[in-house]
Amino acid sequence: MLEASELTKYFNRGTVNEVMALNGLDLTVTPGEFICIIGSNGSGKSTLMGCISGTAPPDYGKTILNSQDITLWPEYKRAGLIGRVFQDPLAGTCASMSIEENMALAVRRGRRRGFRKGVGNHERELFRSTLARLELGLEKRLTDPVGLLSGGQRQSLTLLMSTLIQPKLLLLDEHTAALDPKTAGLVMDLTCSLVEQERLTTLMITHNMQQAISFGHRLIMMHQGKIILDFDQADKARLTVRDLIQQFHSAAIDLAGHLSDRLVLG
Amino acid sequence: MTFYSFTGAIEQGLVFGLMALGVFITFRVLDFPDLTVDGSLPLGAAVSAVLITKGYNPWFSLGPAMLAGFVAGMITGILTTKLKILHLLASILTMTALYSINIRVMGGRPNLSLINSTTVFDPLRGVVDKLGINPWLTSSILFLFLASVVVIFIIWLLRTEFGQALLATGDNPGMITSLGVNTHFTIVMGVGLSNALVALCGALTAQNQGAAEVGMGVGTIVAGLASIVVGETIFGTRRLTVRIISAVLGSVIYRLAIAVALSVDIFTPSDLKLITTILVIVALCMPRIKDHFRNRGNRSNA
Repeated sequence: MLEASELTKYFNRGTVNEVMALNGLDLTVTPGEFICIIGSNGSGKSTLMGCISGTAPPDYGKTILNSQDITLWPEYKRAGLIGRVFQDPLAGTCASMSIEENMALAVRRGRRRGFRKGVGNHERELFRSTLARLELGLEKRLTDPVGLLSGGQRQSLTLLMSTLIQPKLLLLDEHTAALDPKTAGLVMDLTCSLVEQERLTTLMITHNMQQAISFGHRLIMMHQGKIILDFDQADKARLTVRDLIQQFHSAAIDLAGHLSDRLVLG
Repeated sequence: MTFYSFTGAIEQGLVFGLMALGVFITFRVLDFPDLTVDGSLPLGAAVSAVLITKGYNPWFSLGPAMLAGFVAGMITGILTTKLKILHLLASILTMTALYSINIRVMGGRPNLSLINSTTVFDPLRGVVDKLGINPWLTSSILFLFLASVVVIFIIWLLRTEFGQALLATGDNPGMITSLGVNTHFTIVMGVGLSNALVALCGALTAQNQGAAEVGMGVGTIVAGLASIVVGETIFGTRRLTVRIISAVLGSVIYRLAIAVALSVDIFTPSDLKLITTILVIVALCMPRIKDHFRNRGNRSNA
């Protein structure tokens, strides 16, 4: 489904602040796979998402999605294939527009927008039944501006919107990190049921080790722009939060080792 | 205030209502403060006036005038999106360039008289007279009709798929890009459309006052903002349809207020821009001033 090869991305190239955010990363995702991505800050998780979604195209490397080479596609063109939910619960919806208008924008993801009605009459029924799944009563508030909803409600809405048209790939960038534990749990349950029901190919970044272990079919740990650990479902089943934190520490020691090498050589 | 200054204010309010609608699209829909309008208003006037003096039909001249305004807006949009120049600065650049272009359009002169030419109002005057209405009101009636058509057009447009994408571009560009809209395209089209309306206003104003003049656009943006904030303050901001209509009504009220101010002896017409600026500052600060007093009330209650 997704084949990323030799993805390399620098920030501030050619300056003293040069950072290599992705270091020749290879990743192959099979259809229907749900992958959790973990890694410390600055390990390149979000940059990887940016390379795939088109917000931060790589300097080298190739991205193939749904057997199309999308490496050079602009972000808006990729949107037809990719559904996204962001960390900021306010980022995925338009506050000044109503719930139904937001959903109508999402149901047209990747389609040409012409001069037909922005919200079709027949679409409202679909929106109502989809919203009813949330059990938040939003199906009765179709014309309310989204700005009136809470962060959790908005994130749930964004999640529904991203899957309203089935995406070839769903990207979740720490989408529960800004929510309180109870709401985060609800949004995570909704994520699972949507992903399972539609068998969505999904990449989820998380800092929550328990989430990373309990959800998905595969677990990837990134460090310094590379994938350093890759657990399949069987390996994952044996993992504990403690093991993962251990891995984080050994990655950090590895980093320190590099540093001391450099110091010696310097 | 005399009958003539009253009807004159209504007339101006309605024709500049077209401009206010244009400014509404950039300032309120796209969240794009666009100063191009100070140049595209005389651009529309110049194009229309030149075509009329060359013998073209005055109605026909409105088309190229709007097209010229559309292109001017597109240029600002392209400077902003493709060349990444700050929107405010990009529009100032286009506006400045338009000063020279407008003089070129008028054949190297800073103004062009239409006194002896037929305008869109001349054939209508007879019709209005036959209907038993004071022919003095011809331009008011025409402007009322045109403003209504444009209001209906914008209400319709903003309800279409494209219009919804325009609204989303102003509200949350990151979100709408992730849903497959090229915001560069929506911005260029939106700013273009806005300036086409402003140029239409310029063309009609030139025909109405009998001349196109390179300096006639100075302060357009401020008058446009004044109209919008006056409309919003009086009629509220809850519904989009109401906000669109109140941009035109705000423009009429604004011109009436100016007429009243000018009828007081202390003010001269050259004080107009100062009064307007103060009005806009007060109107823009209104929400904060209201909050301030509301919070003070709460504190004293506690």
